[in-house]
Amino acid sequence: MFRPLPRASGYFRIDYADDLALIQTRGERVSLMVFALVLVAVPFIASPFLLDLACQVLLASIGALSLMLLTGYAGQISLGHAGLIAAGAFTTGILAREISAPFWITLPASALTGVVLGLIFGLPSLRLRGLYLAVSTLALHFIVIYLGGEYETKRGFSTGIMVDKPTIGGVALNDGRIWYFILLAFAVGTLLICINLLRSRSGRAWRAIHAKETVAEALGIGVAGYKLLAFVISSAMTCVAGSLFAYYRGFVSIEAFDLFLSIQYVAMIIIGGMGSLLGALLGAAFVTVFPYAIEALLKLLPNAQSLAAEIFAVNYSAFGVVMILFLVLEPLGLVGIWRRVQNYFLLWPFKQKPLAGARK
Amino acid sequence: MQLLVNIIVLASIYALIACGYVLIYRVSRVLNLAHGELMMLGAYMVLATASLFSGHPVMALVAAIVLSLVVGVLVYVFLMRKMTGEMVLAAILTTVALGILIRGVVVLVWSAQQQYPAQALGLPNPSLVLPGGGHISLWSAVLVGTNIAVYAALFGFLRFGRWGMRMRAAGQNPLLAAQRGINLHGVYALAWSLSTLTGALAGILLALDSGLTASMPVIGLKAFPAALVGGLDSLVGALTGALIVAAAEVLLIYYVDPLLSDVVPFLVLLAMLVFRPWGLFGTREELDRV
Amino acid sequence: MNAPLLRVDKIEVVYKRVITAVQGVTLSVADRQIVALLGTNGAGKTTTLRAISGFLGIDDARVTEGTISFQGARLENRPPHEIAGRGVVLVPEREKVFPNLTVAENLIAPVPRAGSTAEQRRQEEIVFHFFPRLAELRARIGGLLSGGERQMLAIAGALMCRPQLLLIDELSLGLAPVVVGDLTRRLTAIRDELGIAILLVEQSAATALEIADYAYVMENGRVVLDGDRARLKGHQDVQEFYLGQTGGSERRSYRDVKQYRRSRRWYG
Repeated sequence: MFRPLPRASGYFRIDYADDLALIQTRGERVSLMVFALVLVAVPFIASPFLLDLACQVLLASIGALSLMLLTGYAGQISLGHAGLIAAGAFTTGILAREISAPFWITLPASALTGVVLGLIFGLPSLRLRGLYLAVSTLALHFIVIYLGGEYETKRGFSTGIMVDKPTIGGVALNDGRIWYFILLAFAVGTLLICINLLRSRSGRAWRAIHAKETVAEALGIGVAGYKLLAFVISSAMTCVAGSLFAYYRGFVSIEAFDLFLSIQYVAMIIIGGMGSLLGALLGAAFVTVFPYAIEALLKLLPNAQSLAAEIFAVNYSAFGVVMILFLVLEPLGLVGIWRRVQNYFLLWPFKQKPLAGARK
Repeated sequence: MQLLVNIIVLASIYALIACGYVLIYRVSRVLNLAHGELMMLGAYMVLATASLFSGHPVMALVAAIVLSLVVGVLVYVFLMRKMTGEMVLAAILTTVALGILIRGVVVLVWSAQQQYPAQALGLPNPSLVLPGGGHISLWSAVLVGTNIAVYAALFGFLRFGRWGMRMRAAGQNPLLAAQRGINLHGVYALAWSLSTLTGALAGILLALDSGLTASMPVIGLKAFPAALVGGLDSLVGALTGALIVAAAEVLLIYYVDPLLSDVVPFLVLLAMLVFRPWGLFGTREELDRV
Repeated sequence: MNAPLLRVDKIEVVYKRVITAVQGVTLSVADRQIVALLGTNGAGKTTTLRAISGFLGIDDARVTEGTISFQGARLENRPPHEIAGRGVVLVPEREKVFPNLTVAENLIAPVPRAGSTAEQRRQEEIVFHFFPRLAELRARIGGLLSGGERQMLAIAGALMCRPQLLLIDELSLGLAPVVVGDLTRRLTAIRDELGIAILLVEQSAATALEIADYAYVMENGRVVLDGDRARLKGHQDVQEFYLGQTGGSERRSYRDVKQYRRSRRWYG
């Protein structure tokens, strides 16, 4: 497993507590504390624009982590991620609008929607794999979007649903800094859930199913159950992300959840590197920051005024180019690059692993 | 009667687009999700050639079609060739990225406004009256005829032509095909160019009939369920699937709810995936290629 | 002695850029010779054949050292269709025919080596001369053939490319002894009448040593023994480990056999 922090140079765990601990060495502990301090300091030193960007990255991370769990680890391809985010956002919007439900009802309700949708999205995976599974998730995405659109037109919200900020004890949560910490808490929580799920029986089952499904079945792993579990957990997390999205933006409209959003999430896990939680985070940061980077780049170029008018098209083109570059040059993503470097140093001065049985 | 005409026209549209998906999938097991965008590109190229060959609409059309053939080969040689060897999922995502790139470039070059290639070429589009009482526009009729011609040609080529046989062989067992002297890159490039050609035909005829916007790829995506329902590696399947999806869509729009238009193909697709994932005429392959 | 038709010189094949599959393998095949490559599972025989006949990108394998020359031309790391075009054709172990094409289509699909059209047209007649059963099965779908028929079609398909060197991976795997005997006779006939050299990978040493003029034994990715038919058949270690003949007539207790882990004396 890819560990970014300095790790122990051997196996030193001597009791159960040690075995369960996530952090082994003092070096890891120190690095983590420094990193945590930096994260906490961000809202106090960053401009409102950067703060908003950081919040977007955190929000995207939740969705990226859940997709990585489903596709990167359990191997179930899903192209319908935007549909799930839409479902979470719409559940929140509808409940807030129709019955003025507070956030401590809408959030769990969104998670519940996620569970139900996860079961529905996951049912095809019991019969289909690979390409056909991806296509079925695509079909389900379009159906969810259609239902959302139907709701908007039938209830007269043709421009979208306005959602008020949640209130705690009568105080509306409006401040960007408070949102940063809320989103940070959710993102860290999601990360911890993912790490622990992957270390547990479910995680091992998912890896086995991903590697060779028939063998997993033969070994007694309840493949159907674990596949559905992957879908359900992933969808629940994604719907919660959608709910947070609705509150953060204050506005829910079906046009924001198009196929391009699904593709962006898939790009996040590809660019980051499949099969790695760190990859999900890196990918989420990359894809979220990307349009802003392009815009900044355009401002630097002298003759870019005409292009700036068509900023969407420029974003599209640039995104397409970058995605192609990653897929062609490094399909294993940023983490793949790191692994190759790691292998090079681990094997040095040999270039390849030695021939098996060559024991002289 | 008009309903029947609509179904046939829509089915022809879907079928002409679907055979592009089938061609590439059958030969290289890659799902070309950029087909809709390439189709749109072909239509936009008519705008470009129209100004080049003003006054000679036929020349402009032929030039645009030839250009599409070239684009297909170029897309393979410069992009997809590098992906033959990687996971199939990576290849599919590459086509998705290519589609996104084409969408952006098209808007940058031609703007997002609605265009009318028929006007640009100076070609009329009268509505013809059919025996039995129904209307069909000229270019829709041409599309139906073109569809039949294309399918006949492709079918004959794949079934009886020497290189058609080699294309089918490469689709079944690429390693063995290479070991029997079949140049895989050549075969794949041929598949891509034929696919882009049929896609461009569909795009151009559609644009001549009802105008051209940057959201044409949506139709391409809707035709994809038609290909899958029939079986992604079967031409007969594509034709059948197109008929089924078109019939469902037209009837449901007419009798139930016009808003269903965009989602009906995917409902049919889902139903098919539940009962028979490899489609009506597809080969029952292992379904776990990722 | 003439220069060999095929010369493989100290090749090393690496998978996925990190896993070495064979190392330092040297062998050669002379004109009109039948050469056998023996060894157990995982010895690297298939990898060697694949290295000679060419890898596709999807295999993620490379010949990283050494050379493979055929009639003087260098073949290593060239694409498979080019190698087949030069006259070196492989009959693979698995997936050896096109399953959804008919037998007739299976024989039309291969691309023949450059030559006169008359020669190319004659090739189908030649193939049916060696495998008359296939003429009866012309319309049968490839995937529906029996094991023996499939192997015949596989060899016939390779012959349609008009090779000068035929590589065969696991000729007898999964086939009844009667069928195997029939195939080996046909192979010898093909060598005699068409002048095609054959490099044959076989797990069944007995079968291979019946028709081979020369043989190499591979283990763990290296060649450990080579020699002509007589030398190999007479070699004590080959007899014991590959031909199942224990030396001497006295009975041995199980205990002896299990503890008896002497290493093979390959260079004796």
